[in-house]
Amino acid sequence: MSVSTLPKKSRLSLDVVSLARKNAPQVVPVVVCLAGFFLIWQILCGAPTSPIPAPLRIVSDSQLLITRPFFEKSDQLKDAYTRANLAELYNQMPNQGLGWQVLTSLRRVLTGYAMSAIAGVGIGLLIGSNIMFYRGLDPIIQVMRTVPPLAWLPIALAGLKQAEPATIFLIFITAVWPILINTAVGVQQVPQDYRNVARVLRLNRFEYFWTILLPSAAPYIFTGLRIAVGLSWLAIVAAEMIQGGVGIGSFIWDAYNSARETGISDIIVALVYVGIVGLLLDKLVFLLGRLIVQSEA
Amino acid sequence: MSLPAFLEVDHVDRVFPTPQGAYVALKDVHLRIAKGEFICVIGHSGCGKSTLLNIVAGLDRASAGGIVLQGREVRDPGPDRMVVFQNHSLLPWLTVRQNVALGVNRVLKHLPKEERRAIVAEHLEMVGLTAAADKFPREISGGMKQRVGIARALAIRPELLLLDEPFGALDALTRGRLQEQLMEICNRHEISALMVTHDVDEALLLSDRVIMMTNGPSARIGHVLPVPLPRPRSRMEVIHDPSYYRLRGELVEFLNHQKYLKKERARHQQAAVVARGSIEKTNLTLGFIPLSDCAPFAVAVEKGFFAKHGLDVTLSREPSWNAIAEGMREGRLDAAQMVTGMPLFLSLGVGNQPPLPVRTSLTLSRNGNAITLSRRLYDQGVSDLSTLKQYLSTLTPQRKPTMGMVHSASMHNFLLRHWLASGGIQPDQDLDVIAVPPPQMIANLTSGSILGYCVGEPWNIRAVDEKVGFVAIATMDLWSGHAEKVLGVRQDWAEQYPNTYLALTKALLEACAYCAPFDHRDEIAALLSQGTYLNADSRYIRPGLAGPYDLGTGKSLYRQEFCRFDGNAPHYSEQLWVLTQMVRWQMTLPPANYDALLREMISLSVYQRAIAELEFPPTSDSMAPITLWDGTVFDPTLPLAVR
Repeated sequence: MSVSTLPKKSRLSLDVVSLARKNAPQVVPVVVCLAGFFLIWQILCGAPTSPIPAPLRIVSDSQLLITRPFFEKSDQLKDAYTRANLAELYNQMPNQGLGWQVLTSLRRVLTGYAMSAIAGVGIGLLIGSNIMFYRGLDPIIQVMRTVPPLAWLPIALAGLKQAEPATIFLIFITAVWPILINTAVGVQQVPQDYRNVARVLRLNRFEYFWTILLPSAAPYIFTGLRIAVGLSWLAIVAAEMIQGGVGIGSFIWDAYNSARETGISDIIVALVYVGIVGLLLDKLVFLLGRLIVQSEA
Repeated sequence: MSLPAFLEVDHVDRVFPTPQGAYVALKDVHLRIAKGEFICVIGHSGCGKSTLLNIVAGLDRASAGGIVLQGREVRDPGPDRMVVFQNHSLLPWLTVRQNVALGVNRVLKHLPKEERRAIVAEHLEMVGLTAAADKFPREISGGMKQRVGIARALAIRPELLLLDEPFGALDALTRGRLQEQLMEICNRHEISALMVTHDVDEALLLSDRVIMMTNGPSARIGHVLPVPLPRPRSRMEVIHDPSYYRLRGELVEFLNHQKYLKKERARHQQAAVVARGSIEKTNLTLGFIPLSDCAPFAVAVEKGFFAKHGLDVTLSREPSWNAIAEGMREGRLDAAQMVTGMPLFLSLGVGNQPPLPVRTSLTLSRNGNAITLSRRLYDQGVSDLSTLKQYLSTLTPQRKPTMGMVHSASMHNFLLRHWLASGGIQPDQDLDVIAVPPPQMIANLTSGSILGYCVGEPWNIRAVDEKVGFVAIATMDLWSGHAEKVLGVRQDWAEQYPNTYLALTKALLEACAYCAPFDHRDEIAALLSQGTYLNADSRYIRPGLAGPYDLGTGKSLYRQEFCRFDGNAPHYSEQLWVLTQMVRWQMTLPPANYDALLREMISLSVYQRAIAELEFPPTSDSMAPITLWDGTVFDPTLPLAVR
């Protein structure tokens, strides 16, 4: 940030050096470990007969997937590949780049996740603030939340008849429990001090809800949202693998089923995508929470 | 007192149910607070101070009794009793301004928006936080947070401010500044305040009265200390006030004693009742005050009179008469040496305490007190009552002159007041008469916080010896042979252990008989000088028991009857006189059933049985008129004829 205010270029380069020096303790171990990881992987899987491709082979096999996340198959592209004597490779490629696949999955996740956030926070507030609701619903919630996401799929398909809404329902049902439970706990954990402030000032229910209850429960709600976003992303991959169509999960399943030569390489690239997107989603919710929640510390 | 108080804590109990059974946190707490009065509640942790505050705030409910604010009962929290919480309790998601505005917008919603905004700004200004108004609580220091808490509380214009150790977590400098700000604000806006603290100096600086709580369980108001320091106060002026160290000493002594009691109580719990033969309880703890006239107790132990009557006695040396009253109330003491009026004082429940019926079977000593005045007065020509009156009239004091006595139910109090009044000096008007524990008298006299005092020995002789005072008159010259110390037991104790009561009376009667003859007095003086009793050189003790008694004016009296241990019958007439004096000095209203009350209180039958079994000569219960030195005659058959 301070770099842009510097007038001279020589100062800038100096600053880059000092910046690098400052961040070295954080960066160096990561680089070393990654390098070591790839090296060991390359050594273990380097043989041409290895069922799992080594990193170098993945780069050459899945060049297009890595370099062009948003390509789409077209005649133009086919000609270009044919001219370069790579027609076979072109035929084995999926119809769309991984970027598109990820976006499709993300759209489903966000739809289901948004629904679960609304329902989870709403019901969570209700059962957190009413002991009777809590007692009544707690056993049901405790049982439902332990059901693995995929076990819902047959019911969802039977009920909703179509793949798309069934997938969204699956995301919803996976994500809703942590949000609901954490919200309920957050409401129950409103510190006695804040309740006392509300009682002394005789805040009415509405004022209490907006000025005390919701802000006080916010850290808990965001913890639930953060757990839920991770679970949704886990569930979407599994759901799409089973039901097919477009999406990162389907891509992985197709690549496996197609039994083409570069299949495993493509899957590994896709896994890297899945991992990075999952991480970004988690960080996003975390940052959102930090932006909104004002805590004591 | 009969005016409706601004706030009344009306005999509040608080009982918490626990798996081990009910835990009584507060027992019969009664307190009245006037408009604009600042009250501090002090006590050790676990004494229920915060519970009391929460009950007043309405955040907790009393199990019995209630809170009356300006004539109406309050059970729920409300902005008229705004709380400054111990941990400030700011809402972390609101800025400083929003935190203050929350209450203002809610409570003063009838005011226009602009006005409300101005109120918030004014109060932030008042606590010096205008610059930090838009910061979040986590961005400001602990002292600033607490100031926000105070601003939030004051901004809604409460009638009563409740503060729960608000400055406990702050550094000394910040604390001092906030205390002065708080005091200034409360004075200016006439806000009443009830503040819980454990800081003695803070309590003295801020309060009009300090409420001292005894330890839980069953915590009560042990003592109420008025703080007559002039306002406006500043820390520096306050600590240089001559009475500051007396007040501080009283608070510290109370707290130390509570700590000691906690230990005692833990020890006492193991001591179960031990019965032997017909004696229902042989293991007794008796309270006494280290004064020359505690001799019967010392003699009964050292000469084996207790053992002879089958009692196994532990003597407990008490720091003040209040401590003895407390010990009786708690049951920590089985019996105690008491000042003459104390059985009546406790039985009637004088001083806003619940009545505690007490029985007395014995007068332990007669005479033995003197009125000492400061040497400074002597140097200015004061030698007797009339010169004292002259001296007082020349004073143009900022503070009312003060004299000390040991307990408001003591003969010291009544005779000192009678003496002053007979010379035209009106107690309470011309001069305050306050209770000071005997061992603290000389320190207070030296510091100038009192002009003089009435006390038993060795504290008059000591003042003369140290050349800080002179003896103006001995109480035997005011009323020759007045009852001085008596034996007191609780009524329920007396009924539960009648044979123990009789044995105790007999043992002490024999001890008194041993003390009475003049030729035993040297031996007794030596005995009392030991560490377990007075822990003082016998040259201070001997004069009060055997003379010669140096008045400090060049005169020496050599009078055997200065302290007497004979005439042990408990006299109805004397207790009736005490009652008239309590009425005279407005300590109590005359009880309608006074005759029955006194006859029940005086265990004449126990005394008579004791002298019969000891084959002592019988004495009759004297109803003869009492004549005081100024010619006042008190006829016990016509008690209302004389004031």
